[in-house]
Amino acid sequence: MSVGFIGAGQLAFALARGFTAAGVLAAHKITASSPDTDLPTVSGLRKMGVNFTVSNKDTVKSSDVLFLAVKPPIIPFILEEVGPDIEARHIVVSCAAGVTISSIEKKLSAFCPTPKVIRCMTNTPVIVREGATVYATGTHADVEDGKLLEQLMASVGFCTEVEEDLIDAVTGLSGSGPAYAFTALDALADGGVKMGLPRRLAVRLGAQALLGAAKMLLESEQHPGQLKDNVCSPGGATIHALHFLESGGFRSLLINAVEASCIRTRELQHLADQEKISPAAIKKTLLDKVKLESPSLSVASASKVSLFTNKSKKN
Amino acid sequence: RVAMEASELWVGFVGAGRMAGGLVRGLLQAGKVPASNILASAPSDKNLDAWRELGCRTTHCNLEVVHRSTLVFLATKPHILPGVLEEIRPAVGSHHIVVSLVAGVTIQTLQRLLPPWTKVLRIMPNLPCVVQAGAMVFSRGSNAGDEEAALLKSLLSSCGLCEEVPESYIDIHTGLSGSGVAYVYLFAEALAEGAVKMGMPGALASRIAAQTLLGAAKMLLETGEHPAKLRGDVCTPGGTTIYALHQLEKGALRATVMDAVEAATNRACDMAKD
Repeated sequence: MSVGFIGAGQLAFALARGFTAAGVLAAHKITASSPDTDLPTVSGLRKMGVNFTVSNKDTVKSSDVLFLAVKPPIIPFILEEVGPDIEARHIVVSCAAGVTISSIEKKLSAFCPTPKVIRCMTNTPVIVREGATVYATGTHADVEDGKLLEQLMASVGFCTEVEEDLIDAVTGLSGSGPAYAFTALDALADGGVKMGLPRRLAVRLGAQALLGAAKMLLESEQHPGQLKDNVCSPGGATIHALHFLESGGFRSLLINAVEASCIRTRELQHLADQEKISPAAIKKTLLDKVKLESPSLSVASASKVSLFTNKSKKN
Repeated sequence: RVAMEASELWVGFVGAGRMAGGLVRGLLQAGKVPASNILASAPSDKNLDAWRELGCRTTHCNLEVVHRSTLVFLATKPHILPGVLEEIRPAVGSHHIVVSLVAGVTIQTLQRLLPPWTKVLRIMPNLPCVVQAGAMVFSRGSNAGDEEAALLKSLLSSCGLCEEVPESYIDIHTGLSGSGVAYVYLFAEALAEGAVKMGMPGALASRIAAQTLLGAAKMLLETGEHPAKLRGDVCTPGGTTIYALHQLEKGALRATVMDAVEAATNRACDMAKD
């Protein structure tokens, strides 16, 4: 099986690194493409032994499982560009937040009657094989296609199938989750430094504390509330500290964060549906490259490529 | 050795106020001690009428209570107690078991004001003892042994939860449960108010609020599950409960409650020092 990545940024790099480290895929069976060769991740991919190209079409041709690893506003451009090369054998996996299966299927159906589309939401710790991934299968993706993706993603962490309408919530929780954790870790380290620890040690200990706690929770039948209680000796240090967290509304902040991320994801999807993403949001170099690859797109029409229309709109 | 059979026990109450009344009702309900074996003293008849209605004997003489009882509950107000102890001290013997319900008065103080051989215990009940759903903790003084502790526990379990603890927990119990009952009333009031705001008549809302608290507490006690787990069980994804809980978290309810328990406990400690 060969895997391709349209896009050679953080996500492609993380997944490629994870797959190769897990041994489910040899590096030379992976292709990644991007018009931008200056990305730091590009050299990282090359060093791994991944085939790198500037041609998205080449990636499509040499892949069975095709990951769309570009930012959501770029997706419609990519689908326009590689659509003609998508065949029934391809499993197109979109990792783009807020981009619906139906929008992708609509776009591809102009080129291929029964495109296999799977939507997935993963997160950056796939890079160390502790990712959290969910996926939802599209209309023409079979159970085996889903299972194939699941096997791939399970090699780099936890992976399970969900209903598509839960994916935005997953984005808010585990998609953005690592960022919340990094923020917490930074602050915990600050706390350690304030109380006298050298920075490196503080970071190391903070990270290990969270890692250990998460592992305990995953391996325990117990409720996190119970695990918390187990750490809190009466009148001890921990319960004093927890009181501070509660006073600061720690829990509600986290709930707010997950909610905000989920809502924003939906908002972006909504904006995309209404074609409100301006091409100005897309790097000019990218647009130029896309135009080079797809002469059918006129300069004027490149300004409004929507997920829903298959013909470029004329201004 | 005095017989420890509850039915042969002569129980006295010095002070006959609300807390004492709650305990005696519990004792009588449980049928542990016949009413005729109970003697209570108070300065006026105001409280004593209710005791007589229960079948207990009453008097205005504290010394009489001590003379006629083996188990003596001290249930006066804190500032009255020193004077009462002075008064009854001569009559206190080694056969007596003295149990103080008096808030803020330590075992050390009690033992100082009573003869050195006295078996002293200190108990902190809470208001729902009155309806036999109380929460009580007690501690032993130097001369009180396993038998006295067991007797007290067996007698008072009729009023609710009754546990022996180190004396240092008693102030915490005040903050948690003694005063805690008031926190619950506040919460119940607020729940009902929310319902009224949304259109439910007040009386109905209040009854439902109370039943909700009762039911939830009952489930906690009977299932033995962690409250966080029970909470999670109620929360359907994206449902009403989780939305509401988010509001509670935003309001830092947890921290506020912790603050309350802390404040009451600290206040109990401070008052005990006076």
